[in-house]
Amino acid sequence: MRALPATFLTCWTIALATQAAAQVRSTIIGPGVKRYPIALSPLKDGAAGGASDPFTRTLGRDLELSGLFRIIPSDTYLENAQTSGVTAEDIDFANWSVIGALALVKGVAERHGDELSIEARLFDVAQHRQLTGKRFRGRADDEPRMANRFADEIIQYFTGERGPFDSQIAFLSTRGGRFKDVYVMTANSDDVRRITNENTLNLSPSWTADGRGLVVTSYRLGNPDLFSIALPRGAWSKLSSLRGLNLGGRWSPDGRRLAVTVEYDGNPEIALLNPDGSLLRRLTDHWAVDVSPSWSPDSQQLAFCSDRSGSPQIYVMAADGSGVRRVSTAGTYNTSPSWAPKGDRIAYASRIGGHFQIFTVKTDGSDARQVTNGPGSNEDPSWSPDGRYLVFSSTRRGAPKLYLTDVAGTNQVELTEGKGSDTSPAWSGWLE
Amino acid sequence: MNRWWVGGVVVLAFIALAAAGCSSKKKGSELEGAGAQGAGLSDESLSGGSLALAKSGRLGAADTGPLHDIHFDYDSFELDETARQTLQENAQWLKDNPNVRVEVEGHCDDRGTVEYNLALGAKRAAAAKNYLIALGISRDRITTISYGEELPICQEETEECWARNRRDHFVPAGS
Repeated sequence: MRALPATFLTCWTIALATQAAAQVRSTIIGPGVKRYPIALSPLKDGAAGGASDPFTRTLGRDLELSGLFRIIPSDTYLENAQTSGVTAEDIDFANWSVIGALALVKGVAERHGDELSIEARLFDVAQHRQLTGKRFRGRADDEPRMANRFADEIIQYFTGERGPFDSQIAFLSTRGGRFKDVYVMTANSDDVRRITNENTLNLSPSWTADGRGLVVTSYRLGNPDLFSIALPRGAWSKLSSLRGLNLGGRWSPDGRRLAVTVEYDGNPEIALLNPDGSLLRRLTDHWAVDVSPSWSPDSQQLAFCSDRSGSPQIYVMAADGSGVRRVSTAGTYNTSPSWAPKGDRIAYASRIGGHFQIFTVKTDGSDARQVTNGPGSNEDPSWSPDGRYLVFSSTRRGAPKLYLTDVAGTNQVELTEGKGSDTSPAWSGWLE
Repeated sequence: MNRWWVGGVVVLAFIALAAAGCSSKKKGSELEGAGAQGAGLSDESLSGGSLALAKSGRLGAADTGPLHDIHFDYDSFELDETARQTLQENAQWLKDNPNVRVEVEGHCDDRGTVEYNLALGAKRAAAAKNYLIALGISRDRITTISYGEELPICQEETEECWARNRRDHFVPAGS
């Protein structure tokens, strides 16, 4: 068989978990519940031979970030991964129960030139039984991505819902220069790639509806214009260059329109663009600031920020601009709305005592919940594709860095580090 | 103040601005590469503006231009008495120099979110533009641009510094 194209990664299910089992599991695994102890045996891999392989390393990172699992350290493992069995019949489960594992992952890698296949299985250590398994085929480069997909599969098995790690996060960083440039990384913060290098202001990155490109506001031609950037190569094309702001181009989830902020006589208003960037219609008409549109997952409504009441607050309207109603009720400065992919809640940043904190609220304005707390400002929330996590920027340790949290705020983890500021994260949908 | 003396300063400032504009533009074309080709950087006002100054690392140096900044309260685009007075002086200078156009830049302090501050900066620039028009300056001599909180001239987290950053900056452009 000939080499596969770079983005072509296939996957077969080896065995399926029952839905009933998943529902039982979800009551013992979840945010705020004790982390579930899992052992990740290194891949049985003729080529690699024992050292920590990218698949196992990435899988461990994902499961750790999920906040749901505790990874049992590999230096306590009793077996030689290269010589021991990989199926329920051949595994000596006593070797795993004695070190405290309740779940176990074992896998086999086969490498032929640039082609890689990995067969990975999840076991219940007490019951000596396989819970789920997947066979992945792709290129050697795809190894971390196979791990991300298996992490999502493990999370699906235990919670009944697919995990969020087969996805990417776009963000702005000053790590490489004087101005903010656009970067993209995997959801677990590996593989950071610089996308722009323009020596000018680049702002508000978001993903195209198909996830194959970014929309960004850039001053590269002087005015804050809206551009598309095709990935992975980074080719620019102009979407909108109306006089004044062309800000925050957000594709509707159905891919039919973009919501933007543009100026009418110096007054920022929300408008819709056609996919080619031409103006479709104006949605808001108010002397106040209207900015930061965020689509509902059914593409029927938009959340946005307006100071029409005298201070910035979160509002919702229908996608034709009708039925404007206020959603945020507490606080004097609420901005950056982000509508959850499940549709039930809107995340936003609220100014409290001189700093911003992340909140979520139901779309009818009830049940506001504070997600972040403590020192520094927490801003720019963006939802994971499964709607269980948020990425945001925080100044809690100095310069702004990106953090991951579950929606309850119980497990907040630093995703980026190093020099410069990291801001404006945008979490993509699932990769395929 | 002596009218001739002011005129002399203005002419000198203009020569300085023009010279700065030229040198920063040359540097710019080396740095920006393909991205700036056909970019419409022919607008002279851009080369003396805050973004061009930031590109060459000179933003925040003393403002020597003939037009003076105005300042705003937190989360406000209202023109207070001091701002109106400064705008009247700026309008007078524009009347005395009828061939000069002006770009009004709206800026914010960093205690807000990026997109909201870009919108607020647009409102601040528009507020000054509308006041200048009311004072008799032709609408087509005035353009506006918002830089939000992206180009601060002061980096400290103090009220004095935030107040300096909440500004409209006026960049004259030759005829």
